[in-house]
Amino acid sequence: MAGAFTAVVLVLAAVVATTGAGIVGARLWRQARRRRQAELAARPRRHLLAFAADHEAQGADALVAIAEPAWRAAEPGALGLLGKLRGDAHRALAAVFVRRGAAARAMAALHARGRVRRARAAQILGDLEHHAAVPDLCGLLTDRHREVRIVAVRALGRIGEPTAAWRLIAALDHADGLPSLLATHALAQLGPEAEITLSAALDHPAARVRAVCLDALGLLGAAGSAHRVARVLRDDPVPEVRVTAAASLGRLGTPAAVDPLVRATDAAEPVALRASAARALGEVGAGAAVPALAVMLGDAQYRVAHEAAHALRRLGPAGQRALRAAREEPADAHATGSTAAMHAREALALAEIATTAARR
Amino acid sequence: MSVDLLREVLRAADWAILCYFVALNSGYLVLIALAGVEFVKHLRRSPFAGTDDMFRSPLTLAVSLIVPAYNEGPGIVAAVQALTSLRYPRYEIVVVDDGSCDDTFDRLREEFDLVEVPRVIPAEVPCRSRVLSVHVSRDNPQTLTVVRKTNGGKSDALNMGINLARHPLVCMVDADSVLDPDALLAVAKPFGDDPLRVAAVGGVVRIANGCTVVGGRVVEVAMPRRWLLRVQVVEYLRAFLMGRTGWSRLGGLVVISGAFGIFRRDLVVAVGGMDPDTIGEDAELVVRLHRHLRARGEDYRVVFVAEPVSWSEAPASLRALGRQRRRWHRGIAEILSKHRGMIGNPRYGRIGVLALPYYVLFELAAPFVELSALVLLPLGLWLDAVDVAFAWRFALVAYGYGLLVSLAALFIEEMSFHRYPRWGDLVRGVSAALLENVGYRQILTVWQVSGALAAWWGTTAIWGTMKRQGFGEPPADAPKPARAGRR
Repeated sequence: MAGAFTAVVLVLAAVVATTGAGIVGARLWRQARRRRQAELAARPRRHLLAFAADHEAQGADALVAIAEPAWRAAEPGALGLLGKLRGDAHRALAAVFVRRGAAARAMAALHARGRVRRARAAQILGDLEHHAAVPDLCGLLTDRHREVRIVAVRALGRIGEPTAAWRLIAALDHADGLPSLLATHALAQLGPEAEITLSAALDHPAARVRAVCLDALGLLGAAGSAHRVARVLRDDPVPEVRVTAAASLGRLGTPAAVDPLVRATDAAEPVALRASAARALGEVGAGAAVPALAVMLGDAQYRVAHEAAHALRRLGPAGQRALRAAREEPADAHATGSTAAMHAREALALAEIATTAARR
Repeated sequence: MSVDLLREVLRAADWAILCYFVALNSGYLVLIALAGVEFVKHLRRSPFAGTDDMFRSPLTLAVSLIVPAYNEGPGIVAAVQALTSLRYPRYEIVVVDDGSCDDTFDRLREEFDLVEVPRVIPAEVPCRSRVLSVHVSRDNPQTLTVVRKTNGGKSDALNMGINLARHPLVCMVDADSVLDPDALLAVAKPFGDDPLRVAAVGGVVRIANGCTVVGGRVVEVAMPRRWLLRVQVVEYLRAFLMGRTGWSRLGGLVVISGAFGIFRRDLVVAVGGMDPDTIGEDAELVVRLHRHLRARGEDYRVVFVAEPVSWSEAPASLRALGRQRRRWHRGIAEILSKHRGMIGNPRYGRIGVLALPYYVLFELAAPFVELSALVLLPLGLWLDAVDVAFAWRFALVAYGYGLLVSLAALFIEEMSFHRYPRWGDLVRGVSAALLENVGYRQILTVWQVSGALAAWWGTTAIWGTMKRQGFGEPPADAPKPARAGRR
């Protein structure tokens, strides 16, 4: 038994020593690698920065001429820069990547076996805003790995090709579908040309699809769809979709939104919808909403009264008059919950701070 | 005859204890290996993580940062300034001054030009204390809110912050923590990628002592000068960074640090907020969330993000360390006692059948077993139940395996995040892993046992005081009452 015990101790000592040596070895390897990478990347980095500043043809040629090992060392930095650039500077640097074959390699990697390779390729193609990759990226929207689907959505948004809209919408309806907020942002990035597709999808049978499209229309500022959004607010059978429709109408800010929103504040409607509608009325900025909001100030539900008060604050002089009138109402001395006067005081105090700050 | 029997019992007990140590350290080793796999996965994915897209998106979920503060005068302004410069598209800071006796509020008022506002505060989660006043920054009323209230403890302060929070995510941050600039983006990202399932995300907490902090940012990472702190650095790496990452990968994360964790506000409200009667309120909230969501049969995730990090000051004296560890172990004992119905209960999935039984066996019981070993092994020697050869081999295996676990954690850290760039720090880290076994672990067991016993005997919880050294600045003179149990 003692012999076996001793053997265990010796094995343990050997493993401990090996792990210690592994720590030192890992540090040495990493430092050597970092030095080598830094040396290789130094020249390309200088060229990159100069090119980002003036993006002239000569600079592009110099970047294309950089030897492959040096470019590989500088590539993470170059991709980071690409992600930050916009407009001509972005297009010029993306063209350099394309000339170096990055787009072709990424297109091929979209079909790689490894999910990390597919996701990386999608990211690069998105960063390059490579329109030719849209059909293949749309194919990745149904990839079996969620992380690949997520990168594909972002890439499609970045590229901004409106024809991808219906594929994004269709992908939302799959089991374990795309994250809603991500899809909404991508759809909004597709631009006004996607409005018709988004508007048509308001009749989609899946509630989540309708909610995403409503949000995207709001972000796009698609005022032409306001009536369809108002119809969803009025008729949709799913309360959460109606809440989203109210928020979307608020973003659209058209006068046509006021009446449907005021109707949505009715006491018989769900609390979340009434709060969302109140907030939206403040964003629309229509004085016609003041009477309805003033009534909501005294609502027993905190969220409803709170949103109504701040909507009135945002409505300017007319709204603030209503707040001042409510402030004068005698508050219950023992009140701990929502009362019109208390909410009005809060909103007016913030309005006063904003006014003072603006004057300064 | 009775002496022979006693010897047999002692011999068996010593063997059982040895087996326990082997099982304990094997468990740690498995968690560290899982963390290693997770880190590789994380690093391979960082080029397409989409953090910049998240920062640019107008739809990124807004966050309310809740900062409970009790007598944080010397550091509160720097802490809030650091929070205001975090890289995140939309967030507010809610500082809850929990009845401070010092100038915490005065400093905030002066620096941020605070103005009092009448605020209607919903009572969505219960608060025991009374609100004295609510203030906002005149320059940016939507971003900074400071509420003054009567003293009620950290949980009560957090509950007040939750009630005041306007955004769908609430992030709890200690007033003396320093966050990496991208830390909020990183911990909020799982909510964007998997919004329907992610319920809470924990961020990693590392030790700030020894690091250089400028303008609320850790600009240079270094090992602390004192061995007591160096040992804690290794301990944090092993237990918090690796251990929690491993549990997250197993789907059994039950502890999210109160110093840096983010939750869906609606869920926190649904479970009733923080429990003011539990000293380990952060872990208790997570266990309660598991209980609530499992009971409703919901598909959900509680995730741990290994980087970037929140930096926090660790106790630099034995006295403060003792108080902290008693508190932590008391917290474990209270939580396991409160939620004992979940332990081993298949209804609660991996939490019930894996994570909580592990916490009972290898977190709660470990100091009791180690203390038994410290008593029974010498007793066995004295009674000739075991011989000297067994005793030293026993010690070598038990502590050698522990050393191996710590070195494995250092190895994974070196291969993944390597936050300590100096060779000297590497040597100090390895040395601390070795020294941890000599004295530190033994004294820890005594504190932990006393913490657990205090929970079971129901003695009054004492938060104690902790003298802050400050980050990269001359040590502060005045001792600071530490209201917060830091995990």
